[in-house]
Amino acid sequence: MTNISNNLFSSYVKNEELYDEIYDSNGDIKDVYKKLFSLYGEHSLTNFVKLNSKAKASFFNQGITFQVYNKKATQEEIFPFDLFPRIINPEEWDIIEKGSIQRSKALNLFLWDVYHEKNIIKDGIVPIDLITSSANYLHQMENLDPPGGIYNHVSGIDIIKHKDGKFYVLEDNIRCPSGVSYVICNRTALKRALFGVFNHYQTYSVTNYAENFLELLETAKPNGVDIPNSVVITPGIYNSAYYEHSYLAKTMGIELVEGRDLFVENDFVYMKTIKGPLKVDIIYRRVDDLYIDPLEFNPESVLGVPGLFAAYKKGNVTLANAPGTGVADDKAVYTYMPEIIKYYLKEEPILNNVKTYHCSRPKDLEYVLEHTHELVIKPVDESGGYGISIGNKLSKKELKKVKKEVKENPRKYVAQPIMSLSVHPTYIEETNSFEQRHIDLRTFTVLGKEKEFVLKGGLTRVALRKGNLIVNSSQGGGSKDTWVLKK
Amino acid sequence: MLSEYTITYKTKNKYKKNTKKAYWQFLIIPETNDSQELVSFEFSNSENILYQNSINGYGFLVFRVHSTNESFNKIYFEANFKVIKKYTNLIDYTEPLDITKDYNKLEDVNFKIDYNTFLTNTQLTTLPLNGKSLFNFNKKIAVLDNLTELNKWTNTYLSFKKKVTNTKTTLKHIIKKKQGVCQDFTHLFCAIARANQIPARYVSGYLNQTSGYLGDSQMHAWAEVFVPNIGWVGFDPTNNLLVTKNHIKVCHGKDYKDCSPLKGIIHTKGDNITKHSVQVIKQQPQQ
Repeated sequence: MTNISNNLFSSYVKNEELYDEIYDSNGDIKDVYKKLFSLYGEHSLTNFVKLNSKAKASFFNQGITFQVYNKKATQEEIFPFDLFPRIINPEEWDIIEKGSIQRSKALNLFLWDVYHEKNIIKDGIVPIDLITSSANYLHQMENLDPPGGIYNHVSGIDIIKHKDGKFYVLEDNIRCPSGVSYVICNRTALKRALFGVFNHYQTYSVTNYAENFLELLETAKPNGVDIPNSVVITPGIYNSAYYEHSYLAKTMGIELVEGRDLFVENDFVYMKTIKGPLKVDIIYRRVDDLYIDPLEFNPESVLGVPGLFAAYKKGNVTLANAPGTGVADDKAVYTYMPEIIKYYLKEEPILNNVKTYHCSRPKDLEYVLEHTHELVIKPVDESGGYGISIGNKLSKKELKKVKKEVKENPRKYVAQPIMSLSVHPTYIEETNSFEQRHIDLRTFTVLGKEKEFVLKGGLTRVALRKGNLIVNSSQGGGSKDTWVLKK
Repeated sequence: MLSEYTITYKTKNKYKKNTKKAYWQFLIIPETNDSQELVSFEFSNSENILYQNSINGYGFLVFRVHSTNESFNKIYFEANFKVIKKYTNLIDYTEPLDITKDYNKLEDVNFKIDYNTFLTNTQLTTLPLNGKSLFNFNKKIAVLDNLTELNKWTNTYLSFKKKVTNTKTTLKHIIKKKQGVCQDFTHLFCAIARANQIPARYVSGYLNQTSGYLGDSQMHAWAEVFVPNIGWVGFDPTNNLLVTKNHIKVCHGKDYKDCSPLKGIIHTKGDNITKHSVQVIKQQPQQ
């Protein structure tokens, strides 16, 4: 242990086998963290405990909560926030930003292709199963040209740093990725608790997300619309991300609506207002594909708008993200991302992909069944960290169960080597001290017509349970403010 | 030669409790294609609510009715269509020179990609494990001849019986019961065709029943399959027929779910009863 000379970090234990974000290869604290380290060191433990509860209260007071499913009683919880920020230096950010744009663009081109000519399959780059056996492929989207040619207006790309110091993408989330409101709220909370620390760093602002998002969203407006009217549609107050929906609508300065607030007349979408119907041109929708229109998809849905899909098909409204994008964030598609990037962009991938075994391939399945104990097994069509098994954390009985399940439904699973996510000092309430915890980073990339934007920051998620590698909020994860430094 | 048909589609909807807000979408309009032409249509309802024309997710025309203020416990709809059906010379078909070439075409990756929508099985067109060997193609005879055999086989395997199945009945059940109505015949036919790499689509439409064909005085269903070097060919397994001038097509899809003639979103408590009736009348032949 080196350089541990201040109060707060005195009991920080550094595990040499893990990649610690604040230390360099010589075991010294990295330059960018030095100032922060000494600033935090000036606080006594009692003082810090006070600051921590102040920050927590700020989240409760702002009503920044989420809901956890699969519990007997669903309840509002705050997303645990850690006061020690993560710093990303300009060189590293450059890789992350360029890599995120590259992936988002490639995914958009892939979506256009699989819903039109399907050249990538005809050229033998990806197998046809990716569309024929995907539950998220919407046949109704075939030969439909989304306004502006954009499918994944917003992409949430989950990136980790492995112990080799390189960035790897774990997942591309392009259905309705959430979490951007926490990025902004984390910044606010940290500023309230420890304003002084910001004076020592040149950090990019994150509060410009809403304006950039709206501006880019409007570039993909329907043909013939001059000044578009945009809205955010939410499933309602019981949705786990409702706070975010309302936050985004508020900061973008547009209406937050539910399905019942909209209606379709002659294939145009209108919003009910006290002054009468108002035409809607762009819908940032946080309602899942199969619920957006009960006349076209799930007839039981009360969250959607009857006739909305016909309006979309006629090109009279923009839906962001486009229906059917889920086919491209399938974990089976993920494994082909390096090839997909090369195919459409003629570029080498900037961010690495984790080696993935497809259980649907007999050879891979054989390997997976033999090495289950050293692999992560993931269902291809779940999100939020549900259904993931980490081989070396399973009991013999559990291992057997997982193998049986994989053997019976091979198409449902992929497996990857256990990646060692980098660690970051995180304040742990139970021990009243800083400890190493695994982190990842979700970046938010917005695609517009011939223009793109990556939020200079992102959501650093931290797995609060010791040794845990799953950082999702639904799995007991917290988050940190993420600073991208100016050059 | 041309035949003119008048088609009347009626539906009666009754609700236990009065309803106000409702949407109905009717996928009942005959399409205009190479073999038929929609000449005129009328559409009305007992509450005099204005209707709109729109499309479904596959681009077929629909009528949509959106009620917001009226309060009622029953509503009747009636549509009338005039359609001219062109005489179709079944298929201008000569024995292909090279049968294997046609089968090779079906195995071609690009062909599979282009027709993937109608090669992919849905919940309603998935054969149970024991159904895979029910009917086997003979690769020594032409694709079309195999399909003709399949049409005949389906017609014999199932017997026409109303009210033993519904629109959600799976093939597992149908194969076991060996009974059903036109959509069941069609689902089975499509599933086996697709299992043999033949693109097959579910077709919904009207049948002129005066010729003694089976149907159930509602909308009829049949299949269209893509045969290399010929194109889409219609088979009516319920009647063991190639599709003729008596079949008036409305739309197609992967299965019944894509073609269901009436979809309603009704905000009401309690049960509702819907009754449909269809009448197809052939006018005097025209020159």
